[in-house]
Amino acid sequence: MDSPFEGRLVRLRAREPEDEPLLFQWFNDHEVTQHLTIRYPLSHAQEKEFIEGSSRMGYNNPSFGVETIAESRLIGGVGFEQVSPENRSAILGIAIGDKTFWNGGYGTDTMRTLCRFGFEMMNLHRIELEVYAENERAVHVYKKVGFHLEGTRRQACFKFGRYQDVHVMGLLEGELRWD
Amino acid sequence: MKSALEGELVRLRAREAEDEPFAHRWANDAEVIRWLGARYPAARALSAERIRDAAPRRELCVFSIDDIATQHTIGWLGLHGEAVEHRSASLGIALGEKAYWNGGYGTDAMRGACRFGFAMMNLNRILDVYPENEGAIRCYEKAGFVLEARMRDGMFKHGSYHDLIQMSLLTGELK
Repeated sequence: MDSPFEGRLVRLRAREPEDEPLLFQWFNDHEVTQHLTIRYPLSHAQEKEFIEGSSRMGYNNPSFGVETIAESRLIGGVGFEQVSPENRSAILGIAIGDKTFWNGGYGTDTMRTLCRFGFEMMNLHRIELEVYAENERAVHVYKKVGFHLEGTRRQACFKFGRYQDVHVMGLLEGELRWD
Repeated sequence: MKSALEGELVRLRAREAEDEPFAHRWANDAEVIRWLGARYPAARALSAERIRDAAPRRELCVFSIDDIATQHTIGWLGLHGEAVEHRSASLGIALGEKAYWNGGYGTDAMRGACRFGFAMMNLNRILDVYPENEGAIRCYEKAGFVLEARMRDGMFKHGSYHDLIQMSLLTGELK
């Protein structure tokens, strides 16, 4: 049987203390954070704390490092937040921090691998995410994976001097697509 | 000048220790909490803690709703979870006294909280997320709220999944 942590290009694994320098670099890089909620500079201490917090994996804290299968190179992070056992729902967050791996299908594969993990290993019923409406590239990826555009929150986020609309997207059991 | 908290039917005010018995009864009334987030029975200690922590403030601005005509306390509502940079907050409301349902009291209270949010807290956006039910959607639309998203099967309660509806009101849209 195939590993539940492996997709076609990437593998999900627990975060480790030695990941800190890369996380620090990515999450202080404007090109990476412009599409995320991050807004203030992040310190080494905050990154260390984040890794310590996410090193105890479990139902309430499924937060992974993403590495390539080919070279075992760390390229980003992905995970669920606000996991609700009664609703069997969770909010997905993803960041491919290594820009040399953008546009190569790594983000798509990471999405599919985590969603499969959520449905098959955590018994989730619904996976939800939010994305800036103008981030068309990301919206395209999420639709390809099977997410439905469920609505748009008007002026929900203020960043870079203006209000931006935010899409809400959802994926239910049985909707995940691999092709 | 009339206070933002003074409506046509109801007046909003800070919650007081005397409100605890009502609040506790409402929190355990199956009909009242049917479409709220509450799921487990509320212990008296929890109700007491909520009242103790109820001084209206920027982060958690909760009010008791008083009927102006009779001075009866009929429910509570609040603005919470403000995202400061986004000037956005969530609205939550529970009309605990069922005799006051469908009489425009909820809408009037909601308008008061929104007036206060825009005029006194300088919010730009007020939102609520709740399981789909016709009454609530109509009530919000009357106040000017716009339906923005339907999160399919977002909540499991009473034996089945229900869509969650997200509605919001921006500055200048209050009706």
